[in-house]
Amino acid sequence: MHPVLKHLIETDFSDLSGSRVEGQIALSDDIINLGLHEVLNQLRRAPTPENVAPASPPRPAAANTLPDPRLLLSKVDVEHLKYRTEAGKTVVEIKAGV
Amino acid sequence: MAVPASPTLQTLLREPAAALAGTDLSLTLPLTRALLNEVLAARPAGTPIRELYVDPEANNRCRVHLAADAPVIGTVSRQLMLVPGAAVTFPDQPWLRFDIESGLKFLDKPLINLVQGQIESRLPRGVDVSSDYVRIHMPALLTHLGYQQLVPLIHQLRISSEANRLLLHLHLKAN
Repeated sequence: MHPVLKHLIETDFSDLSGSRVEGQIALSDDIINLGLHEVLNQLRRAPTPENVAPASPPRPAAANTLPDPRLLLSKVDVEHLKYRTEAGKTVVEIKAGV
Repeated sequence: MAVPASPTLQTLLREPAAALAGTDLSLTLPLTRALLNEVLAARPAGTPIRELYVDPEANNRCRVHLAADAPVIGTVSRQLMLVPGAAVTFPDQPWLRFDIESGLKFLDKPLINLVQGQIESRLPRGVDVSSDYVRIHMPALLTHLGYQQLVPLIHQLRISSEANRLLLHLHLKAN
């Protein structure tokens, strides 16, 4: 794990306090469609019950396991979040802070 | 640049201006002293910088503790007070500049001017050092790191300092 990410996790993301994002993110139809096909391909490759290996016994969480994303999301204050589409693109308007 | 496994992300990074056309996003990212020094500790090896710590202060002042291998005179340690400069805007103002307000000793300035070329040849591409300032040519540095496609998206980049943290102000825009 990158030392900076490790530091953020160990300090409960407190160093991100004061972060702000405001504006809009636009994604082209091409990139959305590419993403859809990628998700579909991943679902097709998902293991079926016949070829799944026997479950290994549960192991304790490794030290470098990524934290539950809900931990970070619980610190995010979303003031504005709006989805819309325009010709050829998908737009997400956002105003949020940590 | 590390290449992501996802073809979608690969395309996005290869042609960000097309994939993100219409994006207009302002970000403020605080970099606390602890986080900043973690980032600096993870810097690439092989540069003349032996030690580098940053101590952000109020009134847009930033103290830098530096130990570096210098040509002719060996290892030099200094505490410099830097003042972040004007915002980077593309394409008119590509330099992220920090003026050196204090911390250089009597003979440092003429020595730096004398060996400026040797210092710069050992720093990452885009980093320019003189006796008055440290400045970074952001397009050159991003290109050196493999992120040249992202350069046109950076509408404005500014760094300011307050007690215990630097603030990174970034305005991304893709037309």
